[in-house]
Order: sequence, then structure tokens, then C-alpha cells
Amino acid sequence: MTVRAVADSSVGRVDGMKTLAKSEFETLIDGLIDDDPRSVVGPQRRSGQYVFEELDSAADLALEYDLTALSPKKYLLPQYEQLLTYERTDGEYEMHAGTDTEGVIIVGVHPYDLAAIEHLDKVHIDTMGDEPYRKRREDSLLIGLTMQSVAPESFAASMGAATTDSGYDLLVTDIGDRFVVDIGSFEGNELLADLDTHSASHSEVQEVRRIEDDLRGRFERELQFPPEELPTLLAEHYDDMEFWESYAEQCLSCGSCNMVCPTCYCFQVETVRDLGGDSGYQQRSWDGCLLEEFASVAQGENFREEVAQRHRHRFMRKGLYVYERYGDVSCVGCGRCTRHCVADVADPTDVYNDLWEATNA
Amino acid sequence: MTERPRVAFFDFTGCEGDQLQVVNLEERLFDLVEVVEVVSFREAMSEHSDDYEIAFIEGSVVTAHDEERLAGIRENADVVVALGSCAAFGGINAIRNDQDFETVTERVYGDDADMIEANPEARPIESVVEVDATIPGCPIDREEFVQVVTGLIRGVEPTLPNHPVCVECKLEENECAFHRDEICLGPVTRGGCGADCVGEGTHCWGCRGMVDTPSEDAYTAVLEEHGLDAEEIVEQYQLYWGWQRPERATQEEAQ
Ligand code: SF4
Ligand code: SF4
Ligand code: SF4
Ligand code: SF4
Repeated sequence: MTVRAVADSSVGRVDGMKTLAKSEFETLIDGLIDDDPRSVVGPQRRSGQYVFEELDSAADLALEYDLTALSPKKYLLPQYEQLLTYERTDGEYEMHAGTDTEGVIIVGVHPYDLAAIEHLDKVHIDTMGDEPYRKRREDSLLIGLTMQSVAPESFAASMGAATTDSGYDLLVTDIGDRFVVDIGSFEGNELLADLDTHSASHSEVQEVRRIEDDLRGRFERELQFPPEELPTLLAEHYDDMEFWESYAEQCLSCGSCNMVCPTCYCFQVETVRDLGGDSGYQQRSWDGCLLEEFASVAQGENFREEVAQRHRHRFMRKGLYVYERYGDVSCVGCGRCTRHCVADVADPTDVYNDLWEATNA
Repeated sequence: MTERPRVAFFDFTGCEGDQLQVVNLEERLFDLVEVVEVVSFREAMSEHSDDYEIAFIEGSVVTAHDEERLAGIRENADVVVALGSCAAFGGINAIRNDQDFETVTERVYGDDADMIEANPEARPIESVVEVDATIPGCPIDREEFVQVVTGLIRGVEPTLPNHPVCVECKLEENECAFHRDEICLGPVTRGGCGADCVGEGTHCWGCRGMVDTPSEDAYTAVLEEHGLDAEEIVEQYQLYWGWQRPERATQEEAQ
């Protein structure tokens, strides 16, 4: 059951808010780790960065994190995924669904990543009917977390994704000595059933609002104009090759900006055969539009051979193509591409603001 | 190709580390000898036969004698596979290609240097004979070896990944070497290894060779940005790409 399915139910935002002690929250998470058949994952510290990883204990949660290496997308659309396995016996091929589609309980998801998952839902469930994704998504629980630290690369506030009021089963806000929890779904509500909670007071709710308002002012990077202007702006600059080349000259075509992006969803499919040739599997893995092979099609033609074309494509896709198709700008402003680009040319605010200035100077 | 093709392994100038990877396939080795018949493999057996269909060549070409021997193997075999980086693109042997040859031999062989009859450059086997498939790596990745063999037997056109190491590095969620103030050749090196070295805490040395179209100028600018001078940058490039990089430049110029 997804959040979206109950979005209009009676468990609305304000009257759904509860308060609980931090120790109660740990009890909840440890209980899920012990008793729920699904794996429970959350942000943890691992050699110099934060990553979402399976939890052994609620005490391992690094809820102070600013930005994880990959987003929790990897649990819904894994980096490598067996789509099917095949086997030949007596000349007959037999296929089996290959993927483990069990859901996951994801703890501590920031609003921009929740927004990214809502976008992926639109693409994979509503449009493409991607079964492995749908099954995992509907079997998963999302426990959101209001950001406390802001990554220096992030501009989520500009993209309207620093805070959210949808896309989660529960959303937790740390107000100092306790948590205020907003209930976003029926299942989220069930999670709290056995815990010691009480309805959030007016002042506790006010405190959540204050933290959120304050948060929106703490971003170092921003888009200088409303994101709704992006599609028009990009369409105007499609043919401005001089502009795209100036960025592309410095680009390594390494694909890192695609790999770390929570809204990128391109993949490639390959067949891996076993030595004997009678069995094997089909695997899909993440792909990226900045990579040289990405746009090559049969007969070895590559319709976005130039780096500048690929570079332009990424920004067009985020701000124009996906908008035309789904009505969303598919950048949530997490800042991961900026952080991971060793050449320092992936920052969407740089590119989009430059375009804006060129038009409005 | 026959039902169970006959295969032979040959070593030229290299460390035999790639053949060792084959020996180390362990239980996969039993699967392997079910689908191919190994007729020559110095690392693992004493018999030898000149009747084979697939030849795996390890090591680079450094002498006139190497060239002759290689040509003979090409004549015997239906399929020639470059096994490991030295055979595939010169590899670490080519580190000396831009150095003065006399100085190199003296440094390595001292007083015996005069007796060394070698070419001034270490070269990949493709500079001498036609090559049908390539398995890069220093050493090779065992699973990639199995996949190439499987493909050859099934008549599937062999392909190599052409994405840089960074792709797999990101998927593994390693901390980037550049974030640790180290430098890393991953952005211009051919992936397929799972970014193993970064996963183990170091960085990519470029052992699988360059991607087909490396963004060399942009990458050089990144290294400069990280404080390397021209000489240090060439040193980085030279470790594995002493043959490959100048060769690429020549080809590009010709176009
Ligand atoms: S484009 Fe960059 S900032 Fe935008 S969602 Fe993707 S990784 Fe985050
Ligand atoms: S923009 Fe940066 S991260 Fe993206 S492909 Fe280019 S160099 Fe790599
Ligand atoms: S450590 Fe190397 S391979 Fe990994 S992302 Fe950084 S530059 Fe790329
Ligand atoms: S990370 Fe680089 S040096 Fe290490 S195995 Fe991969 S290609 Fe070779």
C-alpha cells in the first residue's frame, strides 16, 4: 500500500501529529529490525560519507546527516537487478522471475528524496508499469525525516523540496528532546499503535513549522528564479551550442552525475550466460546519459556523440523533457551531482542561473 | 568452432598473473574444462600441443623473437585472445617506452645489459597480429574471463564495457579518492572491475586501459586543479598507458 493511495484519507497533516520520546522511536526501529521480515535501512556513517545501509540497531542511525552518497532509490530500483533467470532442459527454455521484490523499511529519508521517489512512482508505476519497482514500492515503508543539516551543495529549497507534506508513511521532526511525528498513511499510523505517544500540542506543531521555515533560509545555493520558468528557459537555449560547449569542454563524461541522481532512472539490460550455455540470467543496471555508449543504437550510430550534446541533454531532461511528459521538473535540488562531479561542472544552479542571466541581463 | 574447442595459453613478457587468475578459478575451472579442452598451459600442465583453436596470449611483445613466435601462434589458431593488460595494450611494461632504452637496460641488467636484445618499446600483441578478443586488467577479472570464453564458444561478438571506472565506483558508494585529496585515474579508465581498488581504500591506477574516448584535456585540467605539475601528470598516465596513449594521439591526428 503506498502513501499516495491514502493521500486523501482522514489522517491529514495537523491533526495527525503525535509526539514521542526519542527512546520510544528507537524502540520502534529496534522492534522493526527484530520482528519485521523486511530489512530495515537508514543513514549511517561509513568511511568519510553517509550511506543508506541495513541497520543492526537504531543506535547506528546517523540522523544528523546532510546528504547520503546514493539516495534510497537504490532499494526500489537496485543498481544491479536480475530480471529473469533461464534454464534449458531437453531443448526447452524455462524462464523464472529473477528478482527479489520484497519491500524495505527505509528510515530517515529527507524531503528531497521523498519528492524524488514520488516522481519515480509517477514514471514507473503510473506510466511504465514496471512490476519489480511497483511491487517493492508498495511493500515498502518510508519514514521521512525533517532535515537538520544542509549540505553545502544542496538547493532543495529552490526546488520546493526542502520540506514536504506528502510521500511518507511517517515524517519525523527532531524538536530537541523529542520527536514530533506526522502520520502520512494508515500503515504509518499502525506503526505507532503500541508506542507511548501523545497528540502534539499546539506549541509543538508551531515548533515544527518554525524549524521548517528556518530551514528554507539555510541553503547556500539557490536558483535565481522560480523552477516553473525552467522549461521555457531551456527551450529558448536549446540551440545555444556555444553555451553547452563551454561546460562540456570541462566534462569528463564519467556519468557520476547520473549515477548519484535520485531522479535518474535509465538502465541497460544485458544477458549473462553461464559457461555451459544452458542457463543464465538477464540483468538490468543503471545507465546514464552522459556516458558515451548511452545513446548509441544498432549499427553503431550514436545520436548524441558530442559531449556537449550529452551535457545539454541532461539539463534539458531535468528541466524540460520530463516536465513536458510528467508535469514535474525532475531535479529535487539534492546537490549530489555537484558533490560528486570531480570536474565541478555538474551543478544545476550554475548552469540554470547562467542561462537565466544570459536571457535577463 | 568445434563442440569442445581446444585452447592453449602462451606467455610473452609479463608476470603470468593473468594465467594465475585462470588457475585460481577454482570450482569454475571444472566448469571450464567441461566446455573447452586445454591442450597447452604451462602454469598448470606439462603437455603441449600445437593443435588448438583458441589461443590466449599473456604478456607484451618486446623482442624480434616474440614477434615471430606470435605470428606462428596466429597461424595455428582460429581465435586469438589478448589476456591481461600487457597483451591488450602494452600494460605496465610500456612504462619504459618514453625512456632512453640504454639507460633502462643498464638499470635493469647492469653489466649484462649488452646481452639484451630487445625492442626499444614494449607493445601489445595487436601491434603484430590481428586480435579477436581482449580481456584487459592487471590482473584480469576472473568473471570477465569466464564471460569472454562463454561468448566465444557461443559465437557471441565479444564486447568490453566502455564506461569509466567512476560508474561502478558510484554504484558501490565508495568515497571518491579526490574527496580524500588523492588523485584517481578512474574517470578515464575502462570500467568492468567494480572499482575494486577504490573499494579497498586506494584509487584507480588505470590498469584496464583507457576508455574508447577519454576526455583527456578535461581530465588533465582536473589533475592540475589538484596541484599536479606536468611531469607528475605524465607519470600518472605512463604507469599503464605508455603505449596506448601515444598510439591514441597518433590515431586521432590521422583522422
Ligand atoms: S540533478 Fe543533481 S541536484 Fe538535481 S536531483 Fe539530480 S543529483 Fe540532485
Ligand atoms: S558533469 Fe561532471 S559528473 Fe557529470 S559526466 Fe561530466 S564530469 Fe562527470
Ligand atoms: S574514486 Fe576514482 S573512480 Fe571513484 S568516483 Fe572518484 S575518480 Fe571516479
Ligand atoms: S580500479 Fe583501476 S587499477 Fe583497480 S582494478 Fe579497476 S581499473 Fe584496475
